[in-house]
Amino acid sequence: MTTFSLPRARLNWPRGLVVALTCLAVFVPLLLIFYQSFLSAPFFMPNKEVGLDAFRFIFEDADFWMAFKNGLVLAAGLAVIAVPLGGMLAFLMIRTDLPGRGWIAPLLLVPIFVSPMVMGFGYVVSMGPVGFYSVWAKQLLGFIPWNIYSFTSIVVIAGLTHVPHVYLYASSALKSLGSDVEEAARVAGASPLQVMLNVSLPMIMPALAYAGVLVFFLGFEVFGLVLVLGDPEGHLVLATYLYKLTNKLGTPSYHLMAAVAVCLVMVTMPLVMMQRWLLKSANKYVSIKGKGARQKAMPLGRWKWVAFAVLAGWLVFTIVLPLTGIVLRSFVQYWGEGVKLADVLTLQHFRDILEQPSLMRGILNTVLIGVVGGGLAVVCYTGIALAMHRKQDGITRLLDYSVLVPRAVPGLLAGLSFLWVFLFVPSWLDGFLKLSDSGLAAWLSAHVIPALREVRSTIFALWLAYSVVWLAYGMRLISTALLQVGPELEEAARAVGASRGQVTRDVTVPLIKYGMLGAWLMVFLIFEREYSTGVYLLSPGTEVIGAMLVSLWAGGSTDLVAALSFINITLVAIGLGIALRFGVKLHN
Amino acid sequence: MKHDLNMNELTVTDLHLDYGTGASANPILKGVSMHLQRGEVVALLGPSGSGKTTLLRAVAGLESPKAGTIHIGDRQVFDGAAKVEMPAEARNLGLVFQSYALWPHKTVFDNVAYGLKLRKMGKGEIAAKVGDVLQQLGLGHLGERFPHQLSGGQQQRVAIARALVYNPPVILLDEPLSNLDAKLREEARAFLRELIVRLGLSALMVTHDQAEAMAISDRILLLNNGKIEQQGSPQSMYETPETLFTAEFMGSNNRVPATVVSRAGDAVTLSSDGATLQGTGRGVAGAEPVALIRVEEVRISAEQVDNAIQLPLLTCMYLGDRWECLFTQGDTSLRAYSTYKLAPGSYWLQMPREKLWVF
Repeated sequence: MTTFSLPRARLNWPRGLVVALTCLAVFVPLLLIFYQSFLSAPFFMPNKEVGLDAFRFIFEDADFWMAFKNGLVLAAGLAVIAVPLGGMLAFLMIRTDLPGRGWIAPLLLVPIFVSPMVMGFGYVVSMGPVGFYSVWAKQLLGFIPWNIYSFTSIVVIAGLTHVPHVYLYASSALKSLGSDVEEAARVAGASPLQVMLNVSLPMIMPALAYAGVLVFFLGFEVFGLVLVLGDPEGHLVLATYLYKLTNKLGTPSYHLMAAVAVCLVMVTMPLVMMQRWLLKSANKYVSIKGKGARQKAMPLGRWKWVAFAVLAGWLVFTIVLPLTGIVLRSFVQYWGEGVKLADVLTLQHFRDILEQPSLMRGILNTVLIGVVGGGLAVVCYTGIALAMHRKQDGITRLLDYSVLVPRAVPGLLAGLSFLWVFLFVPSWLDGFLKLSDSGLAAWLSAHVIPALREVRSTIFALWLAYSVVWLAYGMRLISTALLQVGPELEEAARAVGASRGQVTRDVTVPLIKYGMLGAWLMVFLIFEREYSTGVYLLSPGTEVIGAMLVSLWAGGSTDLVAALSFINITLVAIGLGIALRFGVKLHN
Repeated sequence: MKHDLNMNELTVTDLHLDYGTGASANPILKGVSMHLQRGEVVALLGPSGSGKTTLLRAVAGLESPKAGTIHIGDRQVFDGAAKVEMPAEARNLGLVFQSYALWPHKTVFDNVAYGLKLRKMGKGEIAAKVGDVLQQLGLGHLGERFPHQLSGGQQQRVAIARALVYNPPVILLDEPLSNLDAKLREEARAFLRELIVRLGLSALMVTHDQAEAMAISDRILLLNNGKIEQQGSPQSMYETPETLFTAEFMGSNNRVPATVVSRAGDAVTLSSDGATLQGTGRGVAGAEPVALIRVEEVRISAEQVDNAIQLPLLTCMYLGDRWECLFTQGDTSLRAYSTYKLAPGSYWLQMPREKLWVF
C-alpha cells in the first residue's frame, strides 16, 4: 500500500501579509497623532519644532477644561442612567410576562443603529424651542415644560439612548443564567422585584460592570448629540471642542487638535483595556451558574401595567419623539408657532436633494460604502480573524491587542488621522525618493506619489477609515462565528492531509459562511450610521450622508438635514428589516 | 376516594397540564390526583417524561396547569375552573432543587437567611434561627463560606436548610440525591430519612430511582405517562404490584416466555418449553398474558424440583456480595442470584407459585 506524501510546509506568507497590513492600518494613524501633538505647528509647515507647546496651549484654554469636565459628567451620567435601566429592562424582557415583549425587542435596537447626529437633530426638531411637540405643548399648557439645550437634558437624552447598549449585555447574561436560582428565590417568598434586586441583577454583575464601563467609555465618544444640542448654550465636550478648534485660529491648527486627541485617547485607551479585562473575567464567572430548564415567565401581577407604562414612556421618548420629529420636519416647508401642519406639507426638500449632485452622490456613496465597503470590510476582518484562529502565539496576542486600539480612537479623531496619513505619507515618501537619484526613484516620484495623493479624495480613503474604526466590532462578529466551529472538524481535515490553507478554504470558511453574511449586514448597518469618521475626509467625491449632515448642520440648512436624516433612517430601517426577516442575531 | 382537606397538608385533584398551547399542545399531566398528610413523606416515582417533576413544579407554582385544583392545607392555591393561581412566592413552600440552585453571590448564611429576611424577621431572630438549622444539618461552621467553597454533599444540605428554615408546611424535593456521586448518595439517603423523621417533615419528593423512593418515603406514587399508575407503601408497591408497569419498574425481573394453559381464579397454569408451571394471576388479565418473576425469587437447583424449568448456564457475573447467573436456551433467558460461582452445566430454576406473577 502506498502512502501519498504531502508537500512540505512553507512560510506562512498570507498570515504575514495580514499582520503587516493590519498593524500599518492601526498604528500609522495613531503614531501620526502622537507625532503631531509634539510639534509646535502643523507637520506640513516648514518652521515646526518638537516640544510641548501644543499641550501648553490647550491646558491654558478654559474651554478645554470645561469640555473635559463636561465629558466626565456626561460619561458618569450615562453610566448612572443607562446601567440600572438597562438591567431592569433586560430582566423585564427576558424573565417576566411583560405584555408586548415580541414587538418591543426589535424596537430596543433602534437607538443603537440610528446615527446620534440624526437623533440629536430629531430632538431639536421635535422638542427644541420651536419643535413640533414643544409648540403643541405650548398650545396646551401655555409654556414649554422642558429645555432640550441644557446640559442636564443632554445627559438625560444621552443616558436614555444608551440604555439598549446595557440591555444587550445584560439580556445575554440573563439568558445564560439558569432560571432555577430565581425560582428558588420565588419559592422562598420573593416577589418579582425582590428576585430582580436580590438574585438576578447581582448574579449578572460582571456583565453589568462591563456594560457600565462600556457606556462610560461611549460617554467620552459622544459627538453628534452634543454638537447639535450643546451648541445653542455653548456646552462642549472634548470631541466637539476638537471640532471647533478647526475654526478657532483660522489656520489649520493640527498640532492643537492632535494634543486634544492625545488627551482623549489617554482617557479612552485604559477604558478599552479595562473592558477587555472585564469581559474576560465575566466569562470566567459564567462557570458558576444555575441549571437551565424550561421555564415559565415570571408573573408580574399588578405591576405588569406599571412596568409596561415605564417601558412605553422610554420608547416614546427615545424613539417615537425624535424620529417622528424628523419625519414631520422633512415633509414641511417651515415650522413655528401658529403654523398649521396641513398648510405647509411639501416634498420640496427631497426635490432639492435630487437637484444637488453632491447630495445625490452622497446618498449613492453611503449605500455603496455600506453594501460594497461593508462586504470588503468583512472579508478583511475574516482574514485577520483567520490569522489568529487556533494559533496561540505572540503574533496572535499582538493582533488581539492591535484590533482593540482603534476602539479607543473616536471616529472623529480616526477620520482626522487618516486625513493626515494621506497628506503626510505621500509627501514624506516623496522627500525620501528625492534623496536618491536613481531612475526608478524619479519615476516613482513622478507617477506613484501623485496617485497616492489622489487617494485622499477617493471613497477608498473613507472606506479604510471606516473599516479601521469598526475593526474591533467587526472582529467580534467574525470570532463569534469562528468560535462555533468545533476544533475537531478542522483537526479531521488535517488528519486526512489538508494543509493549513486548505483547512481554512475547505472547512473553516464554508462553515462560517452564514456568520459572515450576518456580519456583512451588521457592518452595513454600522457604516450607514457612521457620521463622525467622514467629517474630516469630506471632499468632492467622498461625500456620505453622515458627514454631510454634520457640515450641512453647521451651515444651517435644516430642511436638507431633515430630508437627509429621513433617507438615512430609511436605509437603516431597510437593513434592520432584512436582518429581522432572516433572523440575523443582532447582538451576541 | 374523598379526603378530608383538613387532614391533608397537600391535596391535588384531577390536575391537567400541557406544554405549549393550541395545536402544538403536548399533554404532560393527564388528570393526576394525590394527597399528602402531615408528617408523611411521599415519593413521586416514574421514568423520565412521566410528568413527576412537572407535578412538583406545578405544586410549587412554577408551572401553570390547565385544569384541576391544588390545596396547601386549607388554602386553595390553584383552581383551573375559577382561574385562581397563587404566585409561587405566596405559597410558602420549601423547594430543594435538583441543581441546588444556591445563590453564588451569597454566603451559606445569607442563602439560608434570605427566606427569613423576606418574612421581615428581626436580625437577631434570623441569626438564631439560621444558626439552629445549620447546626441541625451539620453545617454549623460553614456559615461564612460561599457555595462554590463547599462539597456537593454540603451544598445539598445548604439547599435543604434554605428550604426548611421558615418552617413551610410541605417541603418539595426535586431529585435531591441525583447530583451526588454513588458513594455519597447512600450516606445522604440515610441522612435525609433520619432528618425527615427527626423533624417530622411533610415532604413530597421526586425521584427516578425506585430504591431511593422505597428507602426514604412512606408512600410511593408511581407515575406513568402523565397518570398515576399505582400508589401505596413501598412494601406493597414492591411485593404486590397491580400492573405489569409497576412490577417491571419496581425491581429487577425475569420475563418468563410462557403461554397460559388454564386459569382458575388467581391460580394460573402456564406452559413454557414443554414444562408446566404454576403461577399467580395479578391485576386485570391482559390480552397477551405476561409471566414475570423477580430475579431474587428464582432458586437455582442442580436436581429436578417442582415448578421449575431446566436451562444451561451461560455465564456468572461477580457483583461482590453475590453472583448473578445468566441461563439461556433459544429465546428463553433467565437471571438468578447465587452465593457462589456455579460450575458450568444445566440447572433447574425453581419459581415459587406465589412469586411467579401473571399479568
